[in-house]
Amino acid sequence: MMNVFRWWWDILLAFSLLGLLGIFSPLPFAIEIIIFSIYTMGCSFLLGRVGFISFGQPAYLAVGAYATAFYLFYFGQNPYIGILIGLLSGVAVAALVGPFFVRLRSDYFALVNLALAVIMYYLMEKVLAGITHGDNGLWFLTNMSSTPVLDLTRPNQFFIFAFLVALAIWAFYKYLDDSVYGACCLATKINEDKLKFLGYSNFDIRYLAFIIANTTTALAGSLYAVYLGFVSPEITSPARCADPVVVTILGGVGTLYGPIVGAIAYTGMKDLISKFIANWELFIGLLLVFIMLAGEKGIWSTLEPILKKALFRRRILPGLQDGEGGNR
Amino acid sequence: MMDTQLLISGIIFGLSIGSIFFLMAIGLSLCFGLMRIISLDQLLYYSVGAFISYSIFVATGNTWIGMVGGMAAAGVVSFGVERFVYLRIYERDITFTMIASFAILIAGVGAIKYIWGLVPRPAPIPLETQVSILGTAIPVYRLMVIVISFLVYFGIWLFLNRTITGKAIRAGIEDVEHVEGLGINVYRLFTITFILAGTLSGLAGALHAPLIMVDPHMGLHVLAFVFMVVIIGGLGSIKGTLASAFIVGQVISLGSLIYAPLAQMAPFAIMLLILLIKPTGLYGSKLLKR
Repeated sequence: MMNVFRWWWDILLAFSLLGLLGIFSPLPFAIEIIIFSIYTMGCSFLLGRVGFISFGQPAYLAVGAYATAFYLFYFGQNPYIGILIGLLSGVAVAALVGPFFVRLRSDYFALVNLALAVIMYYLMEKVLAGITHGDNGLWFLTNMSSTPVLDLTRPNQFFIFAFLVALAIWAFYKYLDDSVYGACCLATKINEDKLKFLGYSNFDIRYLAFIIANTTTALAGSLYAVYLGFVSPEITSPARCADPVVVTILGGVGTLYGPIVGAIAYTGMKDLISKFIANWELFIGLLLVFIMLAGEKGIWSTLEPILKKALFRRRILPGLQDGEGGNR
Repeated sequence: MMDTQLLISGIIFGLSIGSIFFLMAIGLSLCFGLMRIISLDQLLYYSVGAFISYSIFVATGNTWIGMVGGMAAAGVVSFGVERFVYLRIYERDITFTMIASFAILIAGVGAIKYIWGLVPRPAPIPLETQVSILGTAIPVYRLMVIVISFLVYFGIWLFLNRTITGKAIRAGIEDVEHVEGLGINVYRLFTITFILAGTLSGLAGALHAPLIMVDPHMGLHVLAFVFMVVIIGGLGSIKGTLASAFIVGQVISLGSLIYAPLAQMAPFAIMLLILLIKPTGLYGSKLLKR
């Protein structure tokens, strides 16, 4: 009982703080943060656990968003089924391109994913313009029927749904981090030869991680679609390709709470800057260069030891503090 | 069977597009080979080259001065960026420099938007004349672009094979630490390579500007294709970059003759196919690990 409690308590603490944020800050901002942190979680897992940097996450985001949009625009009305379809198409696409991609070296992987995102942009904007309505996007806000229990067409109930989804995803990733599979992922990042020697297949581990991460991203995409009620190719535009990677680094690579912290910081920053200055790209870019020059630990990795000390008031063994062990 | 005239003009179009891609990809390839950075900001120097050459044309009315000016400006900007940013982060992980370079690209695009505005502008073609090849009218300017790219290839080849600095760069691509051990200042090599890469990207931008419109996002438009060129050719290989640039150029132009949307999709399919057979690209070496 105690162990179960201890396992859950930091997730619950983090999410109760997030829930408070949802109550006290404007609702669109809170929803944006929750979806963005789900989006980033996939990237953070790939980068921190498996050692793959992916500049193509918007491609998988678009897969989820467009699958949901197609269902809601052409076929059905139930947003829950739409989200489910987005999730399944995320699995399908990741399973399809995965075998090509995970064999590559980390640097090639980044470039190939970036190319995939740009191709997805062209696909949605030009090639499939007959179905996707090109730049105009698909509008289906009025197509969605209200659902029982949690009515996804209303923002405040959608917030609760997104919140619960995020909670489930965090619990899942925490479970994954503690499992043998999570350890294997870390091992394939650090020393793949040794892992092969132990009898594991690097390809299988990476393939599964690729599917898990990109399905998470696709789920975020379908949440975006249901929340906004419309999708356009802008969702996978090349200018936004680095967003998840940047937020991952900002929050701290491979940490469980990095994505949330990074999402809050990045979304807040963007909102604040774009409110005062029209030309936000220049400032975001310069700020990022500055962050890159200042350090590589990220916000959460810097805060974690301090928070732990303050919360537990006990000495943490130096080796377990943050480094390679502990509950990274 | 396809029309011969259409085919010839298609091939010339593909060659000229391939030349532009080659000029840009060579910078990325050299930077990766020597410094182990993926320099996404080459796309910024491409736009800088295009915009400066356009502005100089508006001021003086001469396109050739504009091109030289654009090239020089791109070189200067790349020198500044190398000094202030890269010199501090060469030692870090590759993912790290990649994000820094993307940040520079985004900031640069923002700056260009601030200075020149969002409206795409047409740049004039310096040579209006056309020649006839097998009864097909070909613009001389496109042929000139192809010739320039081959001259650059031979220039780079001579530089890397006949000069001490070039030989040091080639040795650095094999093993940086040994070169450093021989008493050569590798950071100077890095600076030289980076400026060379930036200047060539600027040249690509200046040459490409008359063929398309000049707009702030032009770097992002060619991004995918340049990456495909680098990936297909293999990171760090000049010969591979030349070969794959022309493959991609031909696939784009001939693909669009068959079915228009194919132009964007076909290079991607080719890339997947080549990566399936050889995960490091055509000429990429297996030894380069991270």
